[in-house]
Amino acid sequence: MTTPGRLRVSPLLLVLSLLGVCLPAQLPVAQAAPRNGDGRPEANAARSPLLGAMKAELDRSLDVLGKLDPPAYFIGYTVTETQRADVSGSNGALLTSAEAKNRWLEVAVRSGSYDLDNTRKVGERMAGNAGPGSPVPVDDDAEVLRRAIWLETDRQYRAAAEALIKIKTGKEVKVQTAEGQAPDFSRETPRTSIGPQASFTLDRRPWEQKVRAYTRVFRDSPAIINSIVTFAAQARNQYQVTSEGTQLQFGEVRYRLELFIQGKAPDGMDINRYFNFDWVNPADAPDEKAVAAAEATMRKELEGLVAAPLIEPTAGPAMLTGRAAAVFFHEVFGHRAEGHRQKDIMEGQTFARKVGEPILPDFLSITDDPTMKRLATTDLLGYYQFDDEGVPAQRVPLIEHGVLRNFEMSRSPLIGFPNSNGHGRRQLGFAPVSRQGNLIVQSNKAVTNAQLRAKLVELIKSQGKPFGLLIDDIAGGFTFTGRGQPQAFQVLPLVVYKVFPDGRPDELVRGVDIVGTPLVSLTKIVATGDTPEVFNGYCGAESGSVPVAAASPAILISELEVQKKETSTDKPPILPPPAHDVVKTGASQ
Amino acid sequence: MKRAIHHLTTLSLLALSLLQAATLHARAKAAPADNDRTIQAMRDEMARAKTRLELSIPGTDAPVRPYFVQYRLLDVDVKTVIAEFGALLSSTTTRNRFMAVEARIGGYKLDSSNFVGEDGFRGFIGSSGAVGIDRDYDSLRQDLWIATDQAFKEAVETYSRKRAYLSSLARQPDMDDFSREQPIVSVDPRLEPDWSARNWDQEARDASAALRAYPQLYNSRVTYYFLYATEYLLTSEGTEIRASRSLASIEAGLETLADDGMPLHHFYSTYAARPAELPGTDAVRKGLNVSATELVALRAAPPAQDYTGPVLFEARAAAPLLAQMLGPSLNGSRPPLAFAPVMDQILTSFGGKSDWVGRIGARVFPAGVTLVDDPSAKDYRGQPLLGGFSVDEEGVRAQKLTLVENGALKNLLMSRRPGPDSDRSNGHGRSAFLNDPRPTMSNLLFSSSETVSSDELRKRFLDKCREEKLAYCIVVREMDNPILSFDRQDDFSELLASLGGGAGTGDRLPLVVYRVYPADGREELVRGSRIIGLSVRALRNLAGIGDDSYVHNYMQSQITGFAGTALGAFGTAQGGLPASVVAPSLLFDEVEVRGARGEPKRLPLVSAPQLTATR
Repeated sequence: MTTPGRLRVSPLLLVLSLLGVCLPAQLPVAQAAPRNGDGRPEANAARSPLLGAMKAELDRSLDVLGKLDPPAYFIGYTVTETQRADVSGSNGALLTSAEAKNRWLEVAVRSGSYDLDNTRKVGERMAGNAGPGSPVPVDDDAEVLRRAIWLETDRQYRAAAEALIKIKTGKEVKVQTAEGQAPDFSRETPRTSIGPQASFTLDRRPWEQKVRAYTRVFRDSPAIINSIVTFAAQARNQYQVTSEGTQLQFGEVRYRLELFIQGKAPDGMDINRYFNFDWVNPADAPDEKAVAAAEATMRKELEGLVAAPLIEPTAGPAMLTGRAAAVFFHEVFGHRAEGHRQKDIMEGQTFARKVGEPILPDFLSITDDPTMKRLATTDLLGYYQFDDEGVPAQRVPLIEHGVLRNFEMSRSPLIGFPNSNGHGRRQLGFAPVSRQGNLIVQSNKAVTNAQLRAKLVELIKSQGKPFGLLIDDIAGGFTFTGRGQPQAFQVLPLVVYKVFPDGRPDELVRGVDIVGTPLVSLTKIVATGDTPEVFNGYCGAESGSVPVAAASPAILISELEVQKKETSTDKPPILPPPAHDVVKTGASQ
Repeated sequence: MKRAIHHLTTLSLLALSLLQAATLHARAKAAPADNDRTIQAMRDEMARAKTRLELSIPGTDAPVRPYFVQYRLLDVDVKTVIAEFGALLSSTTTRNRFMAVEARIGGYKLDSSNFVGEDGFRGFIGSSGAVGIDRDYDSLRQDLWIATDQAFKEAVETYSRKRAYLSSLARQPDMDDFSREQPIVSVDPRLEPDWSARNWDQEARDASAALRAYPQLYNSRVTYYFLYATEYLLTSEGTEIRASRSLASIEAGLETLADDGMPLHHFYSTYAARPAELPGTDAVRKGLNVSATELVALRAAPPAQDYTGPVLFEARAAAPLLAQMLGPSLNGSRPPLAFAPVMDQILTSFGGKSDWVGRIGARVFPAGVTLVDDPSAKDYRGQPLLGGFSVDEEGVRAQKLTLVENGALKNLLMSRRPGPDSDRSNGHGRSAFLNDPRPTMSNLLFSSSETVSSDELRKRFLDKCREEKLAYCIVVREMDNPILSFDRQDDFSELLASLGGGAGTGDRLPLVVYRVYPADGREELVRGSRIIGLSVRALRNLAGIGDDSYVHNYMQSQITGFAGTALGAFGTAQGGLPASVVAPSLLFDEVEVRGARGEPKRLPLVSAPQLTATR
């Protein structure tokens, strides 16, 4: 459910698909992850034989490749074991129900040195890529694993050596920016941590029944032309060894239930509603009541949107509910605080030289904290123990009282930021870059949501506008961080109400996207609510799709601009849904 | 929406008449008592589509309605087990259902099909996609409703674009778009998956472990694949079909590099209709040993040199060679009208154009040769044939066809898409996995009234060799199947890039090639050969036909761009259409064989890690 691919898919296109859960009025409570840094396995953890095989092959590779010209100065092996169960349904029937287990090998070889290696971006050239890795046996067979590692290492070394030669040539002729002078790879303390291996046992049959039932309900609405419900359980174990001495074994289990429905407005506009539940402890699975409530809301909103009028482009005061605000911050601020965007000459580097300067109103602070497992009662999807470069996850204060302090850092250093803070992340098969984990927005100018709404009405009146906007849900969006495009963002609101100054009831409307430029938009936040809400979702960028969370209270913006949404011109179906057809053609049974 | 896994190309099907359908069979057969509501749901949604689906086009009087609507549904249970060197890579079991809905606007003479326009992505709700696996009524009605709506609207749009395009042409096509055929009702019992009798995970481990004895191999992968498929077809003409098939296969690819860096490959494959009929572990290990031994021998063999002269294809090589050469030529249907001429070029360069269309009656083989395609054949002298079927994917009964008689071309394979030589289907509109049906062989039997013994054929071959005063001549013992033998996708892409231009003009990939020295009859294995320019014209003047025969069971590719071209014979069980070719050894007078070419790869910098033969 990412944004349709009508835009060029490039590293500059950041798509986010998030959805959230309302929280009771609670302040964030961070729970630090149990950390184990002394190298001994945790009490219930057994060291996998994979690590020994990986280490042995690493030593053999380094012994030869480390002495070549150019030398491999860093080699890292990651084996990711994934166990999944997926149960999905559509329109009242099961679509699939399956379980699978696999292991995937990724090999990172860096040639050159920490200061200058094969990953350096020179000019517009993209870094070389020798492929996403390869599958390896799920059986613990050291010899067969080592054979796969051997071939993959050779492939990666050759690609790295070739890239480095090109970079050294290109570097002489291309202008270097100050930001580009930073080293290519940071030096980090090696870590050894052997955690318990994660796995689950699951009887899929009860979930098959639930999925059928959850999706059958949607057939009751003639406005819903298609529904998909998916349950997924995933246990993932990561095994990592590097030539620097890091040896990690850690795992986690996650569960997810997604609800998705589609409809069409009379003018052809596609209307979607989506909701997801994420949990870690099997006992925290949503009960029938919670799912039914979510489904009722989705149905009501979809039916409302199908019938809702279009609104024209406008600019004026707007209130974003907590979950909408969270996505807004993720898109407009979070992506621009990713460290590597301050370095690449192709990037807009919006915040590169603004550290220590105020960029937000002084009542707002933002941290990115992947060590947080939960916010109040909600599991956060952006939690992890170690990032994909083997660096422990760290809480990073990005903005303190409006002032920019730090970036989300991978092992690609910036001038003034020589180290990773555990935000080097990737989807399997991609090279890690700096990414968000749990983006947490906090405010010390909080009022109740009712007071915030009253302030919205005041703003509408003082600006002399006929109405303001209440934005209740955002599908995600995209933000251009590259230099080739304007430094603009576009956020796709799904549920938007017109709020009138005269006390008339709010009116549901459709057909607009929020647009703006980050440096201006962020300073127009005038107040916030007092109840943080969480979005859990998957965020897509150049290192693939990674799980993230964002949390924010509701916000009030003095001026927000909306433009017309791109829309489908396909007409709604000619015939009514079969279950709602009053003419009995073909009911031959 | 649900991913359209095998999205249909726009080179689509054909159509029938509503009138005809109305007068035909009522529901001749009652739905079987197996709790399968599929056909009922299809019938009821079809009834709405036939009577009430219409669009008013501004500026026209009568509303547009489809003259033909077709529902196809595929129910697949698949088990896949992959192992390498004795270790399990993955083992999965899945069950899925897919639908494909087609609507046609216009009439049999001219309709919305056979036109490749400039279609783009049409959104998440399409005319094809995954549907519920419960075989229930309500969810399928809902899915068919949306898909039918979409198919109809697409057809309306395509029809108007096609007519606009036709009006720009000086000459209008004189062939119909769709043949009229008799509707069929045939509801067979459903096959239920049965793969629990043997421990396939363990068999895959044990079989693939045989390759541990060959540490010279870089990669190897042994794939056990089992398929149970039930296909449903319902048309507005009255056709109602439910047919099941099953397939079991073991396919393996083996890769290495010669010491000079030449990439070398080999493969092993075996196919059966049912899992229980697959060979046991010992037999598979034996087969893998043969392939691995040949591959290791190839490493040590000298690179091939350029050569022009007689070539003897032993039956094991002749059968797959015929499969590659005849696949495109036997297709008698017209190609679609292409909006973009580039489509035409692609088809030509991959050998997708038939050399035999328009040549009925012409001599295409030596006078004694007969070529029969027999979908009803179950075996050849006790050896199972895989290509059989009774009704094709367009609902037309399969016919046994004599394609070549006494060397002269008599018939071509036809689907419901007419061609210059015939406007009727002969029940060969085949496809797997809801792909676009196209004329495709089933069990192709080559025979000749004038054959010679193997010894005589070899003697004739060596005599020719001496006549031409060649130091050696070439025997091909086995042909390559790169889609099986290449393990890595990028290597395969590289091969395609080099083969792409030549496939249409007759580039062929031999795998096990020997030089035979006429002086003393000595044989010498060579590596890296490629045959070039071997087109169907060479079949007219075969220099000799053996009295032996080889049954080649293989998978015809269903991949868009491969299907129906010279590359169409390179398929795998996962997504292929089973077929069989029976052929004897064949001697060609003059074949051009190109020696080893291409950039050598560099050998790995680090020596190979240990691989012990026994675990």
